[in-house]
Amino acid sequence: MRQSARLQTILDLTAVDAAPLCTNAQAGCHVLSLANLFDRVIQHSARMHGISNDLHSEFELYFLPSKNQIGRVSRNCHTSSILTPNGKENAQRMAREELTEVILKLLVAWRDPLWHFHQSMAHHHDFNNFSSNKSLEMSDMVHELRKGVQKVVEKMQMLGIISNSVSNLASPEALLASDSAEWRLMKDYDLLYCFRRDSNKVQNYLKILKCRIVPEHGC
Amino acid sequence: MCYIITYILFTVSVLPLCVVLLLFPSPSSHSLASLPLCHCLSAPLEPHFTECISREQETFRCWWSPGSYHNLSSSGALRVFYLKKESPTSEWKECPEYIHSNRECFFDVNHTSIWVPYCMQLRGENVTYFNEDDCFTVENIVRPDPPVSLSWTLLNISPSGLSYDVMVNWEPPPSADVDAGWMRIEYETQYRERNTTNWEALEVQPHTQQTVYGLHIGKEYEMHIRCRMPAFTKFGEFSDSIFIEVTEIPTKESTIPLTLILVLGILCILILIMLVVLTQQHRLMMVLLPPVPAPKIKGIDSELLKKGKLDELNFILTGGGMGGLPTYAPDFYQDEPWVEFIEVDGEDGDSGEKEDNRASDTQRLLGLPHPVSHHMNMGCSNAISFPDDDSGRASCYDPDLPDQDTLMLMATLLPGQPEDEEASFDVEERAPASSERSLVQTQTGGPQTWVNTDFYAQVSNVMPSGGVVLSPGQQLRIQESTLATEEETQKGKEGEESKETEEEKQKELQFQLLVVDPEGSGYTTESNVRQISTHPQPVETKPAATMEDNQSPYIHPDSPQSQFFAPVADYTVVQELDSHHSLLLNPPPATPMPVGYITPDLLGNLSP
Repeated sequence: MRQSARLQTILDLTAVDAAPLCTNAQAGCHVLSLANLFDRVIQHSARMHGISNDLHSEFELYFLPSKNQIGRVSRNCHTSSILTPNGKENAQRMAREELTEVILKLLVAWRDPLWHFHQSMAHHHDFNNFSSNKSLEMSDMVHELRKGVQKVVEKMQMLGIISNSVSNLASPEALLASDSAEWRLMKDYDLLYCFRRDSNKVQNYLKILKCRIVPEHGC
Repeated sequence: MCYIITYILFTVSVLPLCVVLLLFPSPSSHSLASLPLCHCLSAPLEPHFTECISREQETFRCWWSPGSYHNLSSSGALRVFYLKKESPTSEWKECPEYIHSNRECFFDVNHTSIWVPYCMQLRGENVTYFNEDDCFTVENIVRPDPPVSLSWTLLNISPSGLSYDVMVNWEPPPSADVDAGWMRIEYETQYRERNTTNWEALEVQPHTQQTVYGLHIGKEYEMHIRCRMPAFTKFGEFSDSIFIEVTEIPTKESTIPLTLILVLGILCILILIMLVVLTQQHRLMMVLLPPVPAPKIKGIDSELLKKGKLDELNFILTGGGMGGLPTYAPDFYQDEPWVEFIEVDGEDGDSGEKEDNRASDTQRLLGLPHPVSHHMNMGCSNAISFPDDDSGRASCYDPDLPDQDTLMLMATLLPGQPEDEEASFDVEERAPASSERSLVQTQTGGPQTWVNTDFYAQVSNVMPSGGVVLSPGQQLRIQESTLATEEETQKGKEGEESKETEEEKQKELQFQLLVVDPEGSGYTTESNVRQISTHPQPVETKPAATMEDNQSPYIHPDSPQSQFFAPVADYTVVQELDSHHSLLLNPPPATPMPVGYITPDLLGNLSP
């Protein structure tokens, strides 16, 4: 079920690019399609967060941490170096370009760790298939979400909503820069905890962006 | 030492319980809501935080409790410190805002950071009560406020009228900044019947409306809603309850009157039809079942006309006993206005309309001086006034034959028959010709000498000169009639015209007889008559003279011609009626015929 949903999401994102809803001449139409794009991306991020939450709870249940890990974990999240707004006002005050960049950075940062997490989970015989599928789905989702957000950025740049200062984080240089080895030191549980937090951040930021740029539909 | 041993023993005893409890922790490991049971059961309760909640993910507050340490319950005895792990070098700070009445520490917007771990600490004089479970991140302690403005609308009622569906609407909590997209909220609706204990929980969904299916009519339901952030576990408080009740609605109000009206309308229509049928029964009978002409003779009971009673009928008709039909013949068919008497040949030729007062058949039969419309088809002259479809009457309405001629011819055929003024008037209407008028007039007032039913003359022979040889029985009557006519002619003559008319009348009289030939040519038109009349006739010139001595305009048969008369019977069998109402007579058959009325079955015995 999840696999099919994942495929559906991929198709949705590619379809949006392949078949634009209307021509460039109609300005109103552009805005509508941007809102549509945003909605899809937000839905995707919400789903991603949900899966991460499930996985985290399951992991917590399975491995029975004796103590609250929160004290230690915060120091170990590899994405702690990324400056993220920690409040509503901060997020709203932040420029659109910055916020967009933060989102992209987060998504980029999690692509490899999740993939490796999935690999390690697959080899873990303790985990059942359900969790293994979820981890795979999660890593795919990050990938897809990043592509989706990049499309949104391109659209916004085309519409002139944001400037072109947003760096292309898909470039190999950007990928190399984000490829820090910190995450390899993290334990699986910490990874899940960190990703759960970051997926919530992404979801929130996307929603704030959307309601700031195209607030007509569903804010 | 003693203390240590006690402690160790206690720990060993309680440890399994703790392990069990730790196996099933609260969903969120960072929650402060669930207090480990170990602490409750064992050592005196330390001051601790009971709960930390954020309502809108922008601020949060924490409540603490002194626990068993009542001496620390006074405000200020305990102080709250928190650690915000934003950086490795962060420090413990004191609560930014105390609300001692509630033992609450409030963190406002400036002091609240999301996605940043907080750790809470209670500090006494020299003691620090810290529990690692009291660390959390704000997004995990969010419990949204309940929704507001709950309302419900009725969606529909089931056809059975027992259950209904309801749509509940509400607004998101005002504290949650949904518009900015900072919070996304899911709602859970719960309802129950009033005065019951168990709540029905519906599935959590992110929309601000919820359809509730299958509520029962007549029962009151209580409903409330609570909020939660999606993918998080903590629900907020329940909203205020709303009460839903739908009482029985008479659903068939609109349909019952409609069916009632339809039924009543149909009944009324049926009653009307019935009334119409009943009142107009006779007319409807006339239309639907037209009367079948049955043998009905005026003045004669229809019973006699039935089979087997021929003798009685003949007795009556031939005047047995009372001399024919009584004057006041019982009106057997008074109740049947539509009765039309059949034209029967021979003695029955005078049957006519009952309404025909002027042409009383009885009187005609008896020869009484009563108005009679004498012609072959008696009812014709009076029947002309209204159209008649009866077969016996239809012939009267032949447009081909001018009525004038018909009447004239008919009138003269049976001389001696008195004509009523009305009848003559009738004739006058259609016969404006003076000749006919006078002709008719001449025939009025004549004495009715014969009472015999045999008023048809049988023509036994036709003379080449145009004369007609009649049977001896008829000659007398004819003579008398001619005498009468001549007298009238003399009286009423008006110069030449009268003479001419008289002549014409003679001619016509003569030629009427001429016309009646066995060949069936019937009556001729007036033109024909006049043509015929051009032939000089010895008889014509001496009408007056011949009439005196029993002379008729007809050629009196001499002895050599008397041969023809000997076997002549007193009546004539009518072969048929042609279109001109003329009787096609045949020589009487050799076989003896019953006198009087001929029944239809006997007719079959007649040889054509």
